[in-house]
Amino acid sequence: MHIPDGYLGPYTYIALWIIMIPIWYYAGRKLSTELKSRQVPLLALAAAFSFVIMMFNVPIPGGSTGHAVGAAIIGIVLGPWAAVIAISVALVLQALMFGDGGITAIAANCFNMAVVMPFVAYYVYKLISAGTDVASSRRVIAAAIAGYISLAIAAAVTGFEFGIQPMLHHTAEGVPLYMPYSLGVTVPAMVLEHVFGFSILEALITALIFAYIQRTDTTLLYGEKSATQKMKKKNTSTA
Amino acid sequence: MIPEWMKEVDDGPCSCSAVYHGKKGFVGKTIDGIFGFLQEAFVSETYAKRKGLLQTLDPRAKLISILTIIFATSMVGDLNLLIAVYLATLLFAYLSRVEVLFFIKRVWLFIPIFAGIIALPMIFNIFFPGDPLIQLAYLGPGAVLGPFSLPESIFITRQGVNMAIIFTMRVATCVSAVVLLFITTPQQVLFKSLRSVGVPKIYVLTLEMAYRYIFLLMDMVREMYTAKKARTIRSRSMFEEQKWVGGRMGYTLIRSIDMSEKVHMAMMSRGFNGEVNVMQEFKMMHRDYLAVAAAISFSILLMLIAQDFILM
Repeated sequence: MHIPDGYLGPYTYIALWIIMIPIWYYAGRKLSTELKSRQVPLLALAAAFSFVIMMFNVPIPGGSTGHAVGAAIIGIVLGPWAAVIAISVALVLQALMFGDGGITAIAANCFNMAVVMPFVAYYVYKLISAGTDVASSRRVIAAAIAGYISLAIAAAVTGFEFGIQPMLHHTAEGVPLYMPYSLGVTVPAMVLEHVFGFSILEALITALIFAYIQRTDTTLLYGEKSATQKMKKKNTSTA
Repeated sequence: MIPEWMKEVDDGPCSCSAVYHGKKGFVGKTIDGIFGFLQEAFVSETYAKRKGLLQTLDPRAKLISILTIIFATSMVGDLNLLIAVYLATLLFAYLSRVEVLFFIKRVWLFIPIFAGIIALPMIFNIFFPGDPLIQLAYLGPGAVLGPFSLPESIFITRQGVNMAIIFTMRVATCVSAVVLLFITTPQQVLFKSLRSVGVPKIYVLTLEMAYRYIFLLMDMVREMYTAKKARTIRSRSMFEEQKWVGGRMGYTLIRSIDMSEKVHMAMMSRGFNGEVNVMQEFKMMHRDYLAVAAAISFSILLMLIAQDFILM
């Protein structure tokens, strides 16, 4: 999912920078009024968590391992706007520290993984879990579906970004300069790879983390604080 | 009575030692991944401390210079030009006292994985027609593979090879420049210098804090996995294991949010009021201005040549 430098042509990545800057700006404004002085520590720790979540190897069939992107659960737990900043910070760190994802493509990667994923996940989760109790199993299913759909859509968006490259950038003879494959190849390739593979893992992990939080401390979930804090006092997480 | 499974002798090397060479499960892989990360961070810090050319530049000047060069490189479509820029990064690595071999390895280690998957199919005439270079197979007319119809014969095309090489070289040159930036700059300084490209103070602080807490959280994850490894006698079903990982991730999330609350209180008690002040300890010298000017003119030159190439 991390797009390196040189895959996207200048039109695409500049366009995505232009899209991302107001999103970051708005997210920052919204969070600073919501979180006040809590903003920096919360987002810093959330970003560190978004970074670390990819370190967790998960066993998958065939004796191999995979890892989740984690953007879906972060969107559900912290709310989509906090997720935008937290995941963006994690992606910038990855690009600067490992070259994992390109510098010119930071905006593109942030758009796919820090905007599309948490927003889709959050709204899918909200839609399915509407009106249910915080501890209901329907919410776990909602989280799983949110994880599944959000990654599949993020993959489709990435495929789309790749697929428009040959149309935008080619030499006079029609030789593509960047990502050479057309939409007909990139979108199915990205979507199929995720729908039958990574999305399933993302769904599973999102649901498992959600179920764990449900058992431990539901007051952490975005938008749940006021209702549950009246019912029970905050559980201290077992160390 | 000793149960049957306890009598089973495992004649492989002890899996609890750090130098386990057998097949690694997800636990081993995670622990290795974390150690790899820590080592990586450590190694890049040692390069950043050497007294080379790029290390002595002002980090802001270096950041701006390398970023403009990357942006310019991403527009170049000419192979010779890309090779020239790539060789320039090698030269700067050498002048910055980074072992050139290590540097090349560091860059090319990931290129085959990232770019290779994309570039390799490009060379065949399945996706792009072109002049045949080497014929691989003759399939006869009307061959199909699933929903795709295949051409009569499969061959490697001249244009395809050219395209694949340019594509891979561009990726390699950009990665090379980024690697050069971050192995010659201490991380904290690098983040601070982001101020100069317009990143708001509050995000610079968030980045710096996130960077520090990554190590703490990672240590926590490593301990969890080590503890699991130490207590594991027989592996459980895959779903049980996945559930364990999910639970640990959830726990890490809870811990991070909990920790952020404590960090926030600690900051408040030390007088933090939401206002962010980042210490500015950099000083631009003549050579820094010179470096920025050189990098920008070089980038403009690159872009001009690149545009010409497209127009040709």
